[in-house]
Amino acid sequence: MTALTCAQARPLVQAYVDGELDTAASLALERHLARCEACRAEHGTLRRLRAAVGAGLTAEPAPAALRRAIGRRLRAERERARPWRLRTRALVAVPAAILVAAAALALAPIAYERLAPGGAEKIVYHVNETTDPATALRNIANHVQSAPGLKAVVVAHNNGIDFLLAGARDKDGEPFAVRVAALKSQGVDFRVCGNTLARREIDPRRVIPAAKLVPSGVAEIGRLQAKEGYAYMRL
Amino acid sequence: MGRDGKCERFERLIVPHLDAAYDLARWLVRDPAVAQEAVQEAYLRAYRFFDSFHGGDGRAWVLAIVRNACFTALDREPPRATFEAFDEECHADTPNGLPPPEEVAMAREAQALVRDAVAGLPEEFREAIVLRELHGLSYKEIAAVTDAPIGTVMSRLARGRTALARRLGAPERKK
Repeated sequence: MTALTCAQARPLVQAYVDGELDTAASLALERHLARCEACRAEHGTLRRLRAAVGAGLTAEPAPAALRRAIGRRLRAERERARPWRLRTRALVAVPAAILVAAAALALAPIAYERLAPGGAEKIVYHVNETTDPATALRNIANHVQSAPGLKAVVVAHNNGIDFLLAGARDKDGEPFAVRVAALKSQGVDFRVCGNTLARREIDPRRVIPAAKLVPSGVAEIGRLQAKEGYAYMRL
Repeated sequence: MGRDGKCERFERLIVPHLDAAYDLARWLVRDPAVAQEAVQEAYLRAYRFFDSFHGGDGRAWVLAIVRNACFTALDREPPRATFEAFDEECHADTPNGLPPPEEVAMAREAQALVRDAVAGLPEEFREAIVLRELHGLSYKEIAAVTDAPIGTVMSRLARGRTALARRLGAPERKK
């Protein structure tokens, strides 16, 4: 390896002090530091700074009251989330379409085997203004969980795209982007209708980066079913 | 995954990072009561979204949620990851003249000085410094927590350190 110049060495000093350089780069930098007083001084300053900051910052353990409060809230959450104990009010509040979708999800394995024999399950979820995005995302997460290898595409159009715009939050103030990113990391694709953006005069840059644009949502749903063997589900 | 399995995994993988979570929150919101509230919210959120955690680094995963909860508590958007180039200039002008570490470590006053200096940093530098120096996170882990590219993490650390060195070094040099 050729010797490092100061310009090459300087940006490496911090990574070296932080233990982030690989062996080869570390060796090259050490050789340079042995020769170069200015870089050596920089290295010494950074090391002293780290030591001073390390000594000055002390971690404070979480207070016992906080531990207890979290324990209480998690227990309450578990109670709340207990399956098959739906409260009547919640049941009435769930729109019929979603109940139908939930029922379809429960039956999904049988239906898909027929649609995609032997292959991966493929499904396109249709999201429009009648969809409650929080419920839809929860159903999709459950589906992904119970069907490994599932190929899923969410196509949103009309007012159904709103949860894919930057800064969108659910009624509890939780940002949708977190859940969308989590699903995307599990292979769920999000596609937004370009016609909707044009019609509603929404700047495409407002669509979160996790979602892709397609020219027409409806055409995309048709294409996925006709050309790529996707099953259709309205959420 | 059954409910009991989920509880057990959550207790095992996420709850142990509560100290780090509280500490990060304290540094970000700078108010112990607000920090506690933010951490409670974050843990509840983490539990709800725990199905989306697929192993790996539980600490980075939950700290990212804590960080978001802190910015929610502050009613602000988290600092954006700007794709700034790695800034060599800020490496070049780190002031010299820091006292030797052992003296700093012993002096309570100096500790307070460091704490104040860190607390006074702009938040994107502050969180990078706290995650690195107090919790020993790697660049990659800091990038995951703060949702920023590694180059941005390096640049924030470098600029944060330059600012700290200026604040901590300057009084020493005057003596």
